[in-house]
Amino acid sequence: MSAVRCDGIVQIYTAQDVEVVALRDVDLVIEPGETVALLGPSGAGKSTLLWLLAGLLRPSAGRLWLDGVEVGRLDQRRLDRLRAAHIGMVLQNPARNVIGYLTAAQNVAFAQRAVRTDRRRVRDLLARVGLDGADGRPAGRMSGGEQQRLAVAVALANAPRLLLADEPTSQLDTASGGRVIDLIKGAAERDGTTAVVVTHDLAVGEALSRTVTIRDGRVGAEGRRGEDFVVVGREGAVQVPPEYHHLLPPGSMARIEPIEDGVTLRRADP
Amino acid sequence: MILRGLWERRALSLIVLLIAIVPIASAAVGPLYSAAARTTIVRDAIASAPVEGRGWRYTTTRGDLPARLAAFTAGTDLTAPPIFGMETNSGRPGDKLSYPIMWQGGQCEHLKRVAGRCPTATKELMASRTSGFKVGDEILLSSIVTTQPGGITFVPAPLQVVGLYEPISAADPFWFGRTLFDTGGEPGGERTDPLFTVPQTRYDTYAINAGNAKGEGWTDYGIVYLDPRRLTGSDVGTLTRMQATAEAVGRDSDAIVFSYLADTLKAITTQTGSLGVPTLLVIAQLVGLGWLLLFQTVGDLVRARAPEIALARLRGHGRIRVWLFALAEPLLVLAAAVPLGLALGRGAAGLMVGALLPAGIPVDIPPEALWAGAAATLGGVLAAALAAYRTATRPIIEEWRRTPRRSARGWVLDAVVLAVTAIGLVELLATGVITDVSGQSSSALAVPGLMALGVALLAGRALPVLSGRLFPVTRRHGGIGPFLALRQVARGPVTAGSVIVLGTAFGLATFAVSAWTATQGDYRAVAAFHNGAATALTIQPVEPRALAAALDEIDPAATLAAPVIKLPGPPQLVATDPVRLAMVGHWQPELAGGTSLAKAAAGLSGPRTPRVWVRGDRFRLSLSHGPPPKSYTARLLVTLRIPGGPQPVAIPLGQLRGDEGGDYAWNLPPACARAACELRAVHGELIGPQNLETTPFLPVKVTGLAVRDAGVWNTLDTPTWRVDDDPDENDGRFTISTIGNQTLRPATYGAEIPAIVVGPVGRRLLPGLDQAFAVPAKQVAAAAAAPGLDAHGVLVDLEEADRIAYGVHPKATYEVWTTATDTTALERALREQGITVVSARHMDDLVASYAGEGPGLALMLLLVSALAAAVLALGRTVLALHTAARRRGYELAALEASGARVAALRSSLLLEQVLTMAVGTLAGLAAGLLAARVALSRVPQFAQPPVTPPLPHEVAPEPVALVIGAALLASLLAAAVVSELLLRGIKVERLRDQP
Repeated sequence: MSAVRCDGIVQIYTAQDVEVVALRDVDLVIEPGETVALLGPSGAGKSTLLWLLAGLLRPSAGRLWLDGVEVGRLDQRRLDRLRAAHIGMVLQNPARNVIGYLTAAQNVAFAQRAVRTDRRRVRDLLARVGLDGADGRPAGRMSGGEQQRLAVAVALANAPRLLLADEPTSQLDTASGGRVIDLIKGAAERDGTTAVVVTHDLAVGEALSRTVTIRDGRVGAEGRRGEDFVVVGREGAVQVPPEYHHLLPPGSMARIEPIEDGVTLRRADP
Repeated sequence: MILRGLWERRALSLIVLLIAIVPIASAAVGPLYSAAARTTIVRDAIASAPVEGRGWRYTTTRGDLPARLAAFTAGTDLTAPPIFGMETNSGRPGDKLSYPIMWQGGQCEHLKRVAGRCPTATKELMASRTSGFKVGDEILLSSIVTTQPGGITFVPAPLQVVGLYEPISAADPFWFGRTLFDTGGEPGGERTDPLFTVPQTRYDTYAINAGNAKGEGWTDYGIVYLDPRRLTGSDVGTLTRMQATAEAVGRDSDAIVFSYLADTLKAITTQTGSLGVPTLLVIAQLVGLGWLLLFQTVGDLVRARAPEIALARLRGHGRIRVWLFALAEPLLVLAAAVPLGLALGRGAAGLMVGALLPAGIPVDIPPEALWAGAAATLGGVLAAALAAYRTATRPIIEEWRRTPRRSARGWVLDAVVLAVTAIGLVELLATGVITDVSGQSSSALAVPGLMALGVALLAGRALPVLSGRLFPVTRRHGGIGPFLALRQVARGPVTAGSVIVLGTAFGLATFAVSAWTATQGDYRAVAAFHNGAATALTIQPVEPRALAAALDEIDPAATLAAPVIKLPGPPQLVATDPVRLAMVGHWQPELAGGTSLAKAAAGLSGPRTPRVWVRGDRFRLSLSHGPPPKSYTARLLVTLRIPGGPQPVAIPLGQLRGDEGGDYAWNLPPACARAACELRAVHGELIGPQNLETTPFLPVKVTGLAVRDAGVWNTLDTPTWRVDDDPDENDGRFTISTIGNQTLRPATYGAEIPAIVVGPVGRRLLPGLDQAFAVPAKQVAAAAAAPGLDAHGVLVDLEEADRIAYGVHPKATYEVWTTATDTTALERALREQGITVVSARHMDDLVASYAGEGPGLALMLLLVSALAAAVLALGRTVLALHTAARRRGYELAALEASGARVAALRSSLLLEQVLTMAVGTLAGLAAGLLAARVALSRVPQFAQPPVTPPLPHEVAPEPVALVIGAALLASLLAAAVVSELLLRGIKVERLRDQP
């Protein structure tokens, strides 16, 4: 059973009376224990997809399964319970993930309240993220890196099966960022947690087992084991990676030539 | 965690706490103050009631009185210890007089001993000085008997007079209003002043008018007085129940309970009723304003927790847990605010009560205060619940959107408020009553508050729109400051809320100040006319001529004081000396068609023809007349006015003798020997067969008058005569007849009495000093108000009124009006002239008494609370603007980084705040003045609205200008300070933060 399965997800929102299509026909399957980096330019729809996976948004169309449970069929109460028990989330700004006047331990415990407070796990988590000596300090007085590590600990408070992180390294230096990524990978390796990380940082992508690139609301490419692939969409559409736009600029015409195991695209000058 | 959160947001929490405390305190002050005012009303009503209206007199012939009274007063501590008494009556052998024999506990302290001592042993008596008894006399009373030693026959018990007394005062409350003593100093009728004894007399004798056992035949009574010091406003129900019990006792048992307390309770109910509705109006509006403030502020506290609430939801906390999480902090703050607010309200009410109500009024916390405090808090709870609902149900991701979705402000609430305002306004204008004391126009109760809210809502809508319209202008002119300010005002979420809060609060404050100043003016106008002059001294009854003579002695220049006798009417009558009145009386020529008081008063006096004074023991009339008609005898009578009595006394001079006339004499009443009586009329009666075919008559002429004094006859001057219904006869001739019998009178007054007339008196007969309703008024001036009149009536010359009247009715009140505020010298001079001054009433006393009535108390409450709410609204607005501007710190830092000058940013912040606060304040001013214009004349100001004078309802502009000016100045200062504080926090480094 897949940890995440998106089937033709479409997400439309209205901004100032204009409908904006944030995601269109997104098909995505993530297996348990995978660590996935969601890459893509700003506004591509990465965060929207992450919010959908967290159950914070309901898709405008399409279906979404988390651990075999179709999210669209859950009422709010069951969705809350699912999020409490099985989903951990790290928001983009480290300070947003914590309550500033609470200590690290209290922040983790706060996240546990919806399920079951487990003080031993709180201590373990804080030790795992290197904050075992800072549990008496209010989170608001911690450095950005400490706050981000605490955010990961908070997200892992209930041993989620799905860990979602939005730009967890964007405001951190390389070392701190690397440490956060190690924590996420460690959770996947140790607890079998599936991790989906939105990032602009290619290094983060390389550190995770798989990358998914979102462009214009579609899954444009995937990378596995260091190799990038374009993804053929539902209507046979393929997004030409930006690095090849100088060869095949958007708006240009191309010839498709079949070969034995696929097709080739050649620019055509009409 | 909740406490940590509150500490984290300590500034906001403290502000919310303060803003919650003040409405709770304001709301609680109303019932607290109202309860104290009720207590004042109850105590004043009891204290000023006639003695019979201050308690009960419980009378029984069955004994067991102490137990009965104990049962009657059980469960209350409102009464003073009962005064017990007993009494019986008896005649005396050979004497037709009835002698009351009585004992009342503590009697000797209330009697002035003029001889001997108080009775201390059985069968001892103390008799009235006027009784004729002497110390040492033995009195035998027919009904107070004893048995002869060894025998069975009853004989009158010998009772020993051991002392003589005079009543200290017939009006002494100790006697519970009983007319035990003859006020004229002479025994009246067939009853004498009581003989006081001791209880043992009862048990050592038999009263043979009832029963054969010793002790029977006496009536026991107990006087139970209410103790005003123990009464509070909440005891009215208890008093009503006690009165109902007393009435039931009187109805269902042999006991008689006498009391006028029902009248006192009625007066109390009227007064407290007049307090209740306006107070409710005030409290309702203050609670409403408190809700508005709390709605704006408590919501901020919830919204400040929005990121935490979103985190809770993100972590999958359930709906109820999120709700509790969201509500915990504001509810804790509100819970803390309730006792603090009540304590503050208690303190404020204590100050108000101390300053405005008589000393000694307790400030108890009635349940209504707790309810009002809770009701005010409820606004905050609802605001918290609403804000929590919104925060807990909006999409979580909204919390982290960079540009939150704008939510349009609905029109529904505004439309409802405006519709209710319009309905209230229409009802107000249509019915002309905003809150009558019956409270029937309840839907119009909240018109001032609603009008303020309505205008504020419109202003809150209009300001952003107008700013939006001006926005393009500032793009081209004026620099970046006005541009930024107008943009913020036009789209700022704080603008509308601030204008609404300020407009409503200052609308109510303006109305309250306007109402207060107008009411104070009305109080002064009414007090000036009702008091008659700056000070009115109430004096003991005195002969009008003696009063006038005393003042002539004290104030020969006639500039200081005027004698006044008032009769209640209707129509009311005020009799005074016109010359003196012109110098001391309050008058407004514009209320009398421009006529001055001197001019109006000058027309009151008639011709001063001499009066016929008769002092002596015998009166003689010389007549010339023919023989009486055949078969008829003629009897002659003269009518005299006796000093000290309101009724004329007719004395017969005997039958007419012979056919040429002669002298006719008769003894004068004893009173005429002590003081001069006045001859008022001569008339006769024909006694004989009733003959309907002819009318027998006898012409008579008075030719001389004489009076005997100390055995010497003195001839009196013959006055100018007049005959009723025959104005041509003035030489002493009149006709005695069976039909159309004539009365001859000394022509000392006219057929009408000149009067300054207030109201539709017309040709109605005036009461006159003796309430005889003898003559109508001849209007010399018409006025809408005249000194001393609090209803329709007339103001006449005291001399003229005295000439017409046969005396002065007991209902008359005697006063001396004076321009002096310090009346010590005048009072001393009056005392030297033998005139007893009972009390002095200054015009300011009346003003204070009006202010102490229900409506006045309610208006004071409205004033104090509305001003406090206005200050609070101003503070809340400053805070909201400051918070809103702080949220834009990133934007302002970016502007500074891009080259905007600090001066431009300063002018932007300053202009935004000043614009918002000025519009809110001025909207409130407009709303308050509009409400005052529409509603002021309908707002109850008096427990009993005065008939006269017409109330000016003039709003004093200075206090209103002061309030609004102070508000605008405070706004400007606050804006300047806030702008500087904000500018200091704007640093380019801030751009490193996330927006």
